Amino acid sequence: MGALPILPGPGRIARTSNPRRLSPTMLWLVAAVFVLQLLSSAAAIFFLRGQMLDVVRADRVRQVLDVRDDLLATYLQGGRPALAQMIVRQQGSAADPTVFIALTGGAPPLLSNLARVPALDIAPRPRPVMVHLGSDIPDIEGMAIAGQLSDGERLIVGVMGATESRFNLAFATAGGLTILVAVALATASALLLGVEISRRTHAIAETAAQLASGNFGARLPESHSGDGFDHLRLQMNRMAERIDTLVSELSSVSASLAHDLRSPVARLSAAIDTALDRVEEPVALEALQAARENADGLRHMLDTALEITRLEGGAVADRRLPIDLARVVEDMAELYEPLAEQSGVLLETRLEPVVVTCDRELLSRAIANLIDNALKYGARRVVLSTSAGPGAGAGPGMAGIAVLDDGPGIPPQDRDRAVERFIRLDNARTLPGGGLGLAMVQAVARLHGGEFTLADGDGPGRRGLLATLHLPR
Amino acid sequence: MSARILLIEDDTQIGDYIARGLDEEGFVVDRADNGRDGLFMATDSQFDVVVLDRMLPAMDGLSVLKAMRAADVDTPVLMLSALGSTDDRVSGLTAGADDYLGKPFSFAELLARVQALVRRRTGATRAQDTTLRCGELELDRLTRVVRRGGRKIALQPREFRLLEYLMMHQGEVVTRTMLLEAVWDYHFDPGTNVIDVHISRLRRKIDDGEERVLFHTVRGAGYRLAAD
Repeated sequence: MGALPILPGPGRIARTSNPRRLSPTMLWLVAAVFVLQLLSSAAAIFFLRGQMLDVVRADRVRQVLDVRDDLLATYLQGGRPALAQMIVRQQGSAADPTVFIALTGGAPPLLSNLARVPALDIAPRPRPVMVHLGSDIPDIEGMAIAGQLSDGERLIVGVMGATESRFNLAFATAGGLTILVAVALATASALLLGVEISRRTHAIAETAAQLASGNFGARLPESHSGDGFDHLRLQMNRMAERIDTLVSELSSVSASLAHDLRSPVARLSAAIDTALDRVEEPVALEALQAARENADGLRHMLDTALEITRLEGGAVADRRLPIDLARVVEDMAELYEPLAEQSGVLLETRLEPVVVTCDRELLSRAIANLIDNALKYGARRVVLSTSAGPGAGAGPGMAGIAVLDDGPGIPPQDRDRAVERFIRLDNARTLPGGGLGLAMVQAVARLHGGEFTLADGDGPGRRGLLATLHLPR
Repeated sequence: MSARILLIEDDTQIGDYIARGLDEEGFVVDRADNGRDGLFMATDSQFDVVVLDRMLPAMDGLSVLKAMRAADVDTPVLMLSALGSTDDRVSGLTAGADDYLGKPFSFAELLARVQALVRRRTGATRAQDTTLRCGELELDRLTRVVRRGGRKIALQPREFRLLEYLMMHQGEVVTRTMLLEAVWDYHFDPGTNVIDVHISRLRRKIDDGEERVLFHTVRGAGYRLAAD
């Protein structure tokens, strides 16, 4: 029907704190992922180093043994002279400058690529040794095997090169670089992941907040990528769909209540009217009159209940205009004055002009309900007042309409319940009226973005009731 | 010649009740139980008043009303609706309804409104008169002076408007709701007898001490101001 909500109802404003922040948990998670990545790459490097070291070591052992075997073969064939000749040939040859050989027994000992005979015990396997290449060159590490020839001389064959320390250095460099790159990549990817997760979850949370605040049309975009987020979005949307259906079913139920309940009541009234026209008997007439009054009461209750539902749902056309509250209240006072006088109630007004953008019809209904209530519950004096500003009992920028009576009042502990629908307090049970009056007033106040409060009256012993509608100016 | 009423209502029970009541009051009633038939009948022949339910099968009441007005059928329309809120009233009146009545209603209320529409249709309007008369009661709308015979009656502004409305509709039954709408411009039912008290005050000023009373209470319906 093109109805526009005037204002969001209570609880419509959802609060989300710092919606785009990474939580501490998220940071810990990111840090943990990062540390694990580092550990795994360090382990890989360490393992690689060990493997390569083994391969290189085995290679050198093979090389040393090969050279020694060649030399031994020459020795066995040609004796010491052939061996010496081969060693000399080896010296300075381009074959392999890292291979060094020493042969004791002569004076001086026969050396190839060496300045001094390395101190090495005889052993079946090559061993690490310090190689002296000259007085101005620092000793370098090498690996050599020492053996005794049949003539008692010692043959030392070795290869230069600090395997482990060079490897360690190389791997340290590689490891360092790897860690640097890993840190950079891990940080970047963790941040990206974190931000992306945060973005997606916040998008979902915001849609959920919209649903919570009453926008049941809110949906999340579905990508059909099949990942966890997509699944979550899909399920959220299904949930929203279900809520939407239930809520619209509920409002359509309350709308069709109008047709479904009013029509039987209409027929009931019609039947009573027909009977009233045809019955002459006084007793029957009296009973029918009573039935008629009850049917009217039922209709009135139904109207009010439906109206409250509409007001609370905000499904009311915006007919607010800037109006002087004093005039609205004065008109109501004028309407009720003869009735009050007839009931022996003093109806007074204390009006202060204050212009508020409001719906005159709805405010008048609310005021009528409050006056009705005061009259119904035995007040002897009712004061209608309007006020601008904090005098109304609310903050600045508010205007107030107050109805003060000296009736029995409502105990403080019952006041919250008094404004609920269909609640009537015990002392009021026997009086006619649907128990909807105050609920209606509250709905009107909230629709205007204001509130409705109940307080003690100013009668002796705090008797009476002060009902105030606080409206934003 | 009795007035012809077209009743478009899908609820048989309520339809029967209205038709029977109107018939007893001397109206000629034609009926349609859905919007489409109702629209055909309303455009096809001449009626004095159309009583149109808002929720109808085939075509809802609001569409029927708009289609009627679009086809230049200016028969007064009284719209009935289970949707009695002010919003629904406003949308009904905006669409061209002459009056709007929320369900459930009493037949007296409906009758009073139908009679008012028929009278307006037959041109018996007093809207232009500067002086309204009912028997020896005289109301001058310009000087705002009210006299009965030689007696000048002092009235409050609201009492004056109340009497003015009653005199403009003299001879007709005027319901409490009609008064609340026309004189106070409220469209809700206060649920108490506020109007009755206003009437009895005015009645005392007009009728007290007079031989012939002008104010008549119509049981279960409202009031009638008449010199007969």
